[in-house]
Amino acid sequence: MAGEGGAVHSIEVTVNGETHQVAVEARRLLVHFIRETLGMRGTHIGCDSGNCGACSVICDGQLIKSCMMLAVAAEGCEIETVESLGEGADGLDPIQAAFKEHHGLQCGYCTPGFLLNAKTLLAENPNPSEAEIRRALKGNLCRCTGYVNIVRSIEAAAEAMR
Amino acid sequence: MKAETTYYPAVEQNERLGAYSGQSVPRVEDKRLLKGQGAFVDDLWMHRQGHVHFVRSPYAHARIVSVDVSRAEAQPGVYATLTGEEVGVLQQPYFQMAPEPGGLMKDYCMAVGKARYMGEPVVAVLAESAALARDAAELIDVVYEPLGVTLDGVATIEPETPVLHEEIGSNVAWHGVYDYGDVDWALENADHVVRIDRLHFHRFSSAPLETTGALVNWDPGTGEIEFRTNNQMPMFAAMFIGPAIGVGIDHMQFSSQDIGGGFGIKITSYTYLTALALLSRKAGRPVKWSETRWEHLAASAHGNERTFLDIEVPVMSDGTILGFKVRAFDDAGAYLRYEPLGAVIWSQVVPGNYRLKHVRVDYTETLTNKCPVGPNRGYSRLQHLWMIERIVDIVAKELGFDPVELRKLNYVQPEDYPYETPNGCIYDSGDYPTMLEKALELIDYQGARKRQRAAAGTGKRIGIGIGSTLDSGTNNFGQSRIINSALPFSGNGEAAIVRLDLYGEVTVTIGTTPQGQGHETTAAQVTADILGMSPDQVHVAAGYNKAANTYVGFSGTYASQFAVTGLGAVMGAAEKLRGEIIKVGACMLGAEESDIELADGFVRLAANHEVAIPFIGIAATVFANVAELPGELADSVTLNCRYVYRPPFTVPDHETKTGKLTLTYASQIHAAVIEIDEETGLVAILDYAAVDECGRKINPKIVEGQVHGATAHGIGAALHESFEYDSEGQLLNATFADYHAATALDVPDIRYDDIECPSPFTPNGAKGMGEGGGAPLSTICSAIEDALPEGAHIVFDTHNHSERVYELLRSAAAKGPRGVEVESR
Amino acid sequence: MLLAPTEYVRPGSLEEAIDELGARPGARVLAGGQSLINVLKHRAASVELLVDVSRLAELRSIDVAADGSARIGAATTYRELEHSAPLRASHAIIGRVAAGTVDRQVRARGTIGGNACFADPASNYPPLLVALGAELEIAGRGGTRSVAAEDFFLGLWRTAVGPGEVLVAIKLPPLGGAGVGYRSLQIAADSWALARAAAWVGPGDPIDAARVVLGCVAGTPVRASAVESKLIGGPRSAQAAAEAGALAVEGLDPPSDVHASGGYRRAMAAVMAARAVGDALGLAEEVASNGR
Repeated sequence: MAGEGGAVHSIEVTVNGETHQVAVEARRLLVHFIRETLGMRGTHIGCDSGNCGACSVICDGQLIKSCMMLAVAAEGCEIETVESLGEGADGLDPIQAAFKEHHGLQCGYCTPGFLLNAKTLLAENPNPSEAEIRRALKGNLCRCTGYVNIVRSIEAAAEAMR
Repeated sequence: MKAETTYYPAVEQNERLGAYSGQSVPRVEDKRLLKGQGAFVDDLWMHRQGHVHFVRSPYAHARIVSVDVSRAEAQPGVYATLTGEEVGVLQQPYFQMAPEPGGLMKDYCMAVGKARYMGEPVVAVLAESAALARDAAELIDVVYEPLGVTLDGVATIEPETPVLHEEIGSNVAWHGVYDYGDVDWALENADHVVRIDRLHFHRFSSAPLETTGALVNWDPGTGEIEFRTNNQMPMFAAMFIGPAIGVGIDHMQFSSQDIGGGFGIKITSYTYLTALALLSRKAGRPVKWSETRWEHLAASAHGNERTFLDIEVPVMSDGTILGFKVRAFDDAGAYLRYEPLGAVIWSQVVPGNYRLKHVRVDYTETLTNKCPVGPNRGYSRLQHLWMIERIVDIVAKELGFDPVELRKLNYVQPEDYPYETPNGCIYDSGDYPTMLEKALELIDYQGARKRQRAAAGTGKRIGIGIGSTLDSGTNNFGQSRIINSALPFSGNGEAAIVRLDLYGEVTVTIGTTPQGQGHETTAAQVTADILGMSPDQVHVAAGYNKAANTYVGFSGTYASQFAVTGLGAVMGAAEKLRGEIIKVGACMLGAEESDIELADGFVRLAANHEVAIPFIGIAATVFANVAELPGELADSVTLNCRYVYRPPFTVPDHETKTGKLTLTYASQIHAAVIEIDEETGLVAILDYAAVDECGRKINPKIVEGQVHGATAHGIGAALHESFEYDSEGQLLNATFADYHAATALDVPDIRYDDIECPSPFTPNGAKGMGEGGGAPLSTICSAIEDALPEGAHIVFDTHNHSERVYELLRSAAAKGPRGVEVESR
Repeated sequence: MLLAPTEYVRPGSLEEAIDELGARPGARVLAGGQSLINVLKHRAASVELLVDVSRLAELRSIDVAADGSARIGAATTYRELEHSAPLRASHAIIGRVAAGTVDRQVRARGTIGGNACFADPASNYPPLLVALGAELEIAGRGGTRSVAAEDFFLGLWRTAVGPGEVLVAIKLPPLGGAGVGYRSLQIAADSWALARAAAWVGPGDPIDAARVVLGCVAGTPVRASAVESKLIGGPRSAQAAAEAGALAVEGLDPPSDVHASGGYRRAMAAVMAARAVGDALGLAEEVASNGR
């Protein structure tokens, strides 16, 4: 990664509790930083206009689209990706377990974004209505499930976590 | 019944389906996908790889005057480029399925001499990083000479229209007339003739969330090409790529990984795979490509766009619809990739869900300067089925029949099965009247009619709609000979191997390419049932792998057939293995084979469960303890059992265009209540019900999930998704910013129910399913039309965004032509 | 999807930001990036230097004074607007509009200043800011100046913020009992708008003051002055609201694009205007979504 692509910045970003100090080009998107620089493949890319949400991660407690943020702008931030989820016997947290039980995923490509969306939603609103859930999911596209089982999974997760 | 039909008695089907088939067993795939550990193609990496960026034509139709790659190649970190001129030399044009003149088309992996649609790849550049490849692309100078464009799928056949492929001489790719029964007699003798000017099925795509991608390496040492890609029908791809670049299929390795949705759009990517292979060979490096969303929407594949003209429908006074005649024009875009198979595949469902006997379809496949089409979910049947359902609603409205009663009158009835259609297809089983009742109950039909009446004058109009469709599954590829009698395809098949590994582990490999349908889970279920164990004791290899798995020419995952062909193959292989295990076990236990049963991974005496050998013992005898194996067993037992499931098909008749074209017919009856804002035309879905029938369900939750997904695709296309080209052939909405993919706010909660009418033709009573996305298109058109004021124009298009609904609302007062005329005698 | 080479700086103060912006002609303000990053991805504009102001405390604040006026920092996010209790009390419409903006990921980072400065014809805040009589505070090397919202939007993607300047705050006069209405006709829920109308009507009866502003019909928000004149002095009636709609689009010729024809846009602008005026008059029910 030479400097022909523009200035190179040294940034410090904490991802899933681990702090990384890396040199990145100014133009590098956070999603590419996560996937390619850090080699964490669970965050996905599904579009080129910030509409699909497959790249969603948690940044300083907020759900954001990592394709709509520069890596350099994430300096000093705490990022959580799908890889941070799940402990316990089968390695799945209550939200992941609910998605599994209620068939909330098919191809799995959108799933990391939805899991993080559900995590931040339920942290803010432990008892969301169906309308509130759907509203929260607006920024995440799924082409397989038709959203029905995703909503049911989140409702089940909310109940299990209350 | 026809001689070639194989019946599976229900008893035999039941015997095969044991404890786990029919259960919603949790999916094996989920754990890795939930943890973000799925391996999708962009996650893969090869040492020394370069990244590809395609320079694409900004014009819909242009001669390529010159290409200068020198500035790009001079950039440090740029490894190689590939131009259309080189491709024209390095590649033979792809094999064409169309007969002449359409078959004279010269199709290459990139534009050679001429670009024929906006976004067609013109130059490929390979560089050290994707960013560098993208930057270098801006240094490539291409000079174009724009040519006239042709964009209307019907007008494109007129003389004086710019011709895309000079070799063909026109923009007609294929033409044929399908004529069944005697529609002229029917039109002459019917009590009414309903004439519909024009119906139009619009252009959209299932647009899977993961775009096309590949990692391709043409190894200079071995001459073998490795394709790691998310193509969903790899052997079809191989059959096109091999002859084009002069490489034997035995020198091509294909593997898939986790695939982020396919829906038929990832079938025709063989053109990109060819370009990547050529570039890899030129550069002496592996090449990696990840399609952007813009590229995917502009230049992967679109669903077929079809226009229906001059529809005439003979109807008797009691409401019996005798049939119809129509001129159909299918706009295939700029190249034929999977076409013209669509020109015959619709005829799997000639009469739709109905007992229509007299049908004439004058079918023309045409070429325009738009993205080539691919077999998008519902491929070619949903266009035809939508037209039929429009006919039914329009006939009901024009002649004053109740739309529910008219359907029930004309539906194929439960007692009619197996039902032979006018062109010799056999509908295996079904019960549409019961499904319709259930759908209407789910939306509280009577209550909805009350709400509809109460809404009068409130500024909102309520409409209730019904959509009936079929999902014909497990193709007979012999129908391709109806299009072109010289094609060497017939029947269908899928292959599987079920084996014991060295320590008795049960392993399954299949020729399929799953993209979220849960094959690892359902294959484990049926294997577990046959071998008497639990599914988590069965290991199913993930994804497609030509070297490690087994395959046939039709291997892949498409066209609603896995439950029949894929699982049929798995079941056949499992039964073979069961037989071998019992043979070895009987020998080792000194018993008769009929005394033996399998349970929990053991071979045991049925009469005394204590006398048992675990599978590891069986495997050891065959693999490691070979001196102790009796001669006759050593010769005949491998514990590595391959089975090819072949549905019982014969070759259809080219002259009469008849035959058994599909093995199974799943069905979908949907109902919806919508509300239209009179001032704006905005449609809100108040209630939506989907009732499905797909034979024996192997995993009910997976089936229901497929219904939800297909329904969402249909709703999205009906209200939000439509590709729009301007008058110069520029695609105006090639990103998700402008091509609005339905969100969780756009898709309602779907009320679901199903019935099971086991197919008598399949080993497990299951039917292929998953392509039922046509039903919402019909249902929503039906509901909108039901809400329109008296005198409004018919709903004529599959896509009804608010502006179109606004125009339809106002058409009543405008008192212009309504798109339909009735002649009553 | 892959950006052209660019440079980035994150100044520690507003003064530094102004220095950076002034030092290079190709410098641009980066706040939440929810619009600008897309522009850069599609290489629709080239930017030499991105000056990140998103973390400047001076630009992230919501101050509501005792008189009911509000001063919102330009880099305040939609989410912050949505959750601000003082702002809900003084100018509830601002938070309501924020809550319906795109999706929660965008709301976490996108800013009201970014929205105003992006100045897309379909952007949601410009017509509302004009209707509310907002003033926009711009800072540059020469100091700070205030520009009325009506004079801030100059053309397609062009505002009064000049080279070397940055939008600092949006000031809203107190509502003082005025009614506000805001309606959008979108291609789908919380999505791209085809028509927008914002209305502000004083509390008097007969109507003593009104501002009606349309979005999505031209390069900038359009004040329907003829409508305003007609409303003033007239009754607070549904009839008046309905007539306002038809009058609002007289003479307008909105463009056609992939989403809608000009004719439909025009017709929908009239419907949204009538409904927004109705809301401002306190006549309509609570808006569910999408113009209803």
